[in-house]
Amino acid sequence: MKNATVNLRNLVIVVADPSSYWRRAIYGILRSFGANKVLEVEHSMDLIRILSSQKIDILIVDTQIHPHNWHKLTHMIRRNATNENRTVPILLMSNDTSERIVKDARDAGANMVVAKLMSPNILYDRLCWIAFNPRPFVDCPSYFGPDRRFKIEGYPGGVGRRKGDKIIKVAEEVGPALAQNDIDSLFKAAKTDAQDA
Amino acid sequence: MRKMPDNSQPDVRIFYANTRFEQMARRPGGVPRQKAMAQAQAKIDELKSGFNDWLDRELRQLNDALAKVENDLNDNASLETAYRNCAQLQSVCAAMGFELVTFVAENLCKIISTMMSGAAYDKDIVDCHINAFLLAKTDQYRAMSPEQVPEMASGLRRVVELAGRNSVRKSAAMDE
Repeated sequence: MKNATVNLRNLVIVVADPSSYWRRAIYGILRSFGANKVLEVEHSMDLIRILSSQKIDILIVDTQIHPHNWHKLTHMIRRNATNENRTVPILLMSNDTSERIVKDARDAGANMVVAKLMSPNILYDRLCWIAFNPRPFVDCPSYFGPDRRFKIEGYPGGVGRRKGDKIIKVAEEVGPALAQNDIDSLFKAAKTDAQDA
Repeated sequence: MRKMPDNSQPDVRIFYANTRFEQMARRPGGVPRQKAMAQAQAKIDELKSGFNDWLDRELRQLNDALAKVENDLNDNASLETAYRNCAQLQSVCAAMGFELVTFVAENLCKIISTMMSGAAYDKDIVDCHINAFLLAKTDQYRAMSPEQVPEMASGLRRVVELAGRNSVRKSAAMDE
């Protein structure tokens, strides 16, 4: 991914951030990457207006957007079955990238969370990732958005819930880590200690 | 015993959206990474030189919003504007590595937050923070950490603590 090149020409990119400074920074960075259709939005009202009137290709939104908060907006975009922007990639920017925010963003249907200060390198990487590693969308009564499974290291409770889930092979057992004599001596020592007490 | 995946979930659909972004961003002809980085860095450097103007503008707006609150203690819209201004100062300055301005902004955010939840407007506390901003934004102090200016830092922390206590006391009194 480090060597991949993204072509942003003619893609409609919306940057929604209440801070004029950040908007200018992201706008400048995106223009440097070759984007020629970058729209800047200060309030969520303007964002909603754009989303309902035109097709956009990627949304970069800050968690401090108002008056509608980012969570509500993301949910609104993903749950509106008639909106043509329903599957638009959503990149969330935040000063706070605590686990809680990342989980909330994931469950609301955002594609990624990036920490501010976003360096040009990181932004370029994230855009490459979204372009070259498309994630399937999941549409179910409780969730609509990109697949929340980035890598599968096992299913919750060991059981996959989807049709396509296959049994995951875990590493094969190669014998006990300790020899039986060592295990026995550990128990023996514990027993002696207990008797002494 | 290991359960097999449940295949009876007709209301779950998994599909590839194949968005226009995915299709078009993969086209050849994009700006090569190295060139893109060099251009972006130049933009950022350009923007950094305008940081002082931006900071002055934000502080002016914050001052204006707080002055409106001072004139009309029920002006919740201005209080919210002040909070947002302050949060932006905190956010941008943190990202730019200006620790002292970030610290003062964070403190004032807490104070405004207590006002939003019912604490009284205290002109002295607000003025104290505005003055701290004026000092913290100077080239000499901007990049310092609060630990490097212990008297100022502990003073502002104490002010926040007191404001918090007063707010709790007030809400307890209202409950009674």
